[in-house]
Amino acid sequence: MLKAKNSLGMIFFPAFDWAISPTHPEREERLLYTQDQLLEEGIFDIEGIQEYKPAVATTEDVERVHFCFPDVDSIVTRSHYISAGGAIKAAQIVMEGEKQRAFAMVRPPGHHAMKTVLGSRGFCTINIEAIMCEYIRKMYGPKRIAIVDTDCHHGDGTQDVYWHDPDTLYISMHQDGRTLFPGTGFPQECGGPKALGRTINIPLPPGTSDTGFMMVMERVVMPILEDFKPDLIINSAGQDNHFTDPITNMNFSAQGYAALNTMLNPDIAVLEGGYSIQGALPYVNLGISMAMAGLDYSHVREPDFNPESLKESQDILNYISSLCDAIPDIYFNPPEKTSDGVVKDGWSVRHKNIFYDTGGFSESQTESLYLCDDCRGILKVETGKQSGPRGLGVEIPRNACKHCRDLALKIVEEAQNKSSNRYVQLINRQDEEYIRYGF
Amino acid sequence: MLLLGIDVGGTHTDAVAAGEDGIKARVKVATVHENLLSSIQNALEAITAEVDPGLIQQLNLSTTLSTNSIVEGKVEDVGMIVSAGPGIDPYSVMPCKNYHVIPGAVDHRGTETSPIDSNALKAAVDSCVADGIKVFASVSKFSPRNPSHEKTMQLALNGKADFITLGHKLTGRLNFPRRIATAYYNCAVWRIFNNFADAVSGTLEKTGLGHVKVNILKADGGTMPFQLSRDLPVQSIFSGPAASVMGIIALCDITQDSIIYDVGGTTTDIAIFVSGAPLIERDGIHIGSYPTLVRALKVRSIGIGGDSAVSLQSGTVRVGPNRLGPSMAFDGNHPTLTDALIWKGSCHCGSIEKSKKGFADFAAKNNISPDELAEKAINTAVGTIHDETRQLVDEINQQPVYTIHELLENRRIVPRKIYMMGGPAEALKDSIFQKFQLSTEVPPNYDVANAVGAALTRTTTDIELFADTEKGVMFIPSLGYRENIPRGYKLHDAEKDAMSHLLSHLGDLNIASAGENAEITASSSFNMINGYSTVGRNIRVKCQIKPGVVRTYS
Ligand SMILES: [Zn+2]
Ligand SMILES: [Zn+2]
Ligand SMILES: [Zn+2]
Repeated sequence: MLKAKNSLGMIFFPAFDWAISPTHPEREERLLYTQDQLLEEGIFDIEGIQEYKPAVATTEDVERVHFCFPDVDSIVTRSHYISAGGAIKAAQIVMEGEKQRAFAMVRPPGHHAMKTVLGSRGFCTINIEAIMCEYIRKMYGPKRIAIVDTDCHHGDGTQDVYWHDPDTLYISMHQDGRTLFPGTGFPQECGGPKALGRTINIPLPPGTSDTGFMMVMERVVMPILEDFKPDLIINSAGQDNHFTDPITNMNFSAQGYAALNTMLNPDIAVLEGGYSIQGALPYVNLGISMAMAGLDYSHVREPDFNPESLKESQDILNYISSLCDAIPDIYFNPPEKTSDGVVKDGWSVRHKNIFYDTGGFSESQTESLYLCDDCRGILKVETGKQSGPRGLGVEIPRNACKHCRDLALKIVEEAQNKSSNRYVQLINRQDEEYIRYGF
Repeated sequence: MLLLGIDVGGTHTDAVAAGEDGIKARVKVATVHENLLSSIQNALEAITAEVDPGLIQQLNLSTTLSTNSIVEGKVEDVGMIVSAGPGIDPYSVMPCKNYHVIPGAVDHRGTETSPIDSNALKAAVDSCVADGIKVFASVSKFSPRNPSHEKTMQLALNGKADFITLGHKLTGRLNFPRRIATAYYNCAVWRIFNNFADAVSGTLEKTGLGHVKVNILKADGGTMPFQLSRDLPVQSIFSGPAASVMGIIALCDITQDSIIYDVGGTTTDIAIFVSGAPLIERDGIHIGSYPTLVRALKVRSIGIGGDSAVSLQSGTVRVGPNRLGPSMAFDGNHPTLTDALIWKGSCHCGSIEKSKKGFADFAAKNNISPDELAEKAINTAVGTIHDETRQLVDEINQQPVYTIHELLENRRIVPRKIYMMGGPAEALKDSIFQKFQLSTEVPPNYDVANAVGAALTRTTTDIELFADTEKGVMFIPSLGYRENIPRGYKLHDAEKDAMSHLLSHLGDLNIASAGENAEITASSSFNMINGYSTVGRNIRVKCQIKPGVVRTYS
């Protein structure tokens, strides 16, 4: 019988009774064939591989990360609590040393969910990776975490959540935003003023196949990880770069995904997108699981896999190669100024308009970071649906200086007394206090 | 009208004749390990001396024959022909030497993505035939969704095999490595089981029981008709623990979440009941190092029994897991748990005097008072049973679920009562009660509960139905049934079809089936989408005749 070289915990939660709508790509059937494939392969019988039930995330787990307006419970469904709970379970398994690795194969996904949440974007409502990472930091102490996002879409949500956090390295490789939702993720987006070079975007041309992805892994991702020396590597494992995916234009294969995973060697993988539910997910998820467990995945192949026909052109490879030359510099020699925002009265301020495609509305937002010389600085977000009630969010980072902490508390107090904000939320990581006012 | 139950165990063969209003006869004979048939013969003779053979209507038989053959390696060489397609390397689950992987593939929806390589198939068959192989297993990946590759392999074996096992006929559940192992074992014990079955039929004729209907016990707490068991001998493995569990159901009125202990000589089997019904293993039983798809009651065996040796290691009293001969009460020369129980006065068997003297001597040699030694030994044994039980319940409560509803409903098992049987059950009862603080019951006839269970167990069967309305097909793999369906076929239609096929299958087996025992255990329907429009439904229904007994004496 097979024995896993690396012990692996798998959280398989297909949420067979939840969908956005009957024909939405993120629907009940999405993990059905993956489950069939995993069961038929007998993957849970392999020594060292064990299946776990997901945990259920609490409101506090969500409030530790997000400013949710009007409040968490009016936006977040049960399925989101469970998929975030699945990621939390993966973290528990690894952090408690029960297994060396964990793969949370859960739905719905989360990497388009931003710091502020007013509804659903791109099938995501809350950011399950971020909720997991902050759970880890609360339970197991401050950790340097690298999130490598291999979903075909730019993980604009995860980027936003960690924009100002120098202890979290966010690397996203994705189909060029000029050709795909959400239209962001360009190299110059590289982090806020206190975290420059901690966000790395690698936009890849449509048609990129295994060779191109592996070139990026070798020449960009791995050298940066080696330098950053994270305590944990998380893979936001979206499977929609697959050559059969109906909503993207890439040519990645199950073999490619497994090889990438072997090189990345993540502690935890969390499923993100992937909508070729018959032709890709069963094979890609099997390949990744086997790669994580250190098992031979060379027999895992899609029925219609033809590596020759998927190969990218020399032009594409040349273009990717030029990206590989340029992008590492953003991490190793970050620019002096953030690409996004202006400095005003000691605050770095940026305005954002965020479109919620699922909800069909826009949010207008002003996000400000207090530029402090003694700490990371406090974050302040003023936001609201266009022509809707406004909300204010304030976050005190874990290592805030006394001045910043007092300032944040003062802002919250003043907002309660006299402000145009209907809702006020405080994320106080230092005292582990998550408070909201208003109704 | 009498129902006969025989349980051929490791030491004893127990038999009972059960009537409408109670147990009419019970016998225990020694099991002749080398000749199980003679043990059955002896049990039958002893029983028919007490009751009128003409009144006996049915014999349910639980035998260790298949299990023993496998454990002792007395099995026939099997030719395994396998079609795997992409996935895990099929050679990683190779159970025997004559194992041939034929190129070809079927995917998760039952679509053939690559045909069987007929040249490779012919070469594989020829090579097995040249090796003198007479029994074959044909297994393909996803055969429960489309058995065509297994059937192609069967055709290629035409005229060359005494017996062929087709993977999809074993069960509709998915798990290719387990299907391979199950098909392999089914073939490996086929001949020995059929020879035994012939001999049992002969014995029944000779004992004046030719008219009796015979069933074989399965590990899932049900029986199967004798005729069916000849094609599915693998289903008879590990039916012993199931017999005991079913016996407890017959002897007690179990309605709550409960723990069942069958305390034997060297091991204690633990089973868990949820709202009065025994729990079934999610996947299937393990035989040797291979997991299979053989359905079984969830039973955990731990190394604590009456014969478990009591020992001292640097001041710590240990019980089991090894056995160093019989108890001192039965002329052994090392004290056992039974001797400890005798010392405390809660057990009365064998030579009390010998036991007490030996126990005291052993204690003296180890500078401990016999009282303290006995107490610690019993506490240790009960402590181990307690810890293992807790672990088992926790494990069951941790089992994955796949819907939000199931997860949030969060039905946790909380045992409210303990039932005990087996030799040392009565003697251990108080200590178990003290430890768990749960009502603890040892029913009368607890020492032949296994045979009572065998006698009263009903026939069970389960089927899985799949429907794919995009392809316009409905099929029930284990029955080899396939039918075209209209596009409007719904979950409700599938449930009705599954039930009627289950019942008519029982009818084919000449089992007067009680429809009230049929139940749907899982049922789901998924919209299949292509682009943004619904192209059909993928429907799955499981149903079963639930395990149970025909009558109770509680
Ligand atoms: Zn990405
Ligand atoms: Zn995506
Ligand atoms: Zn500060």
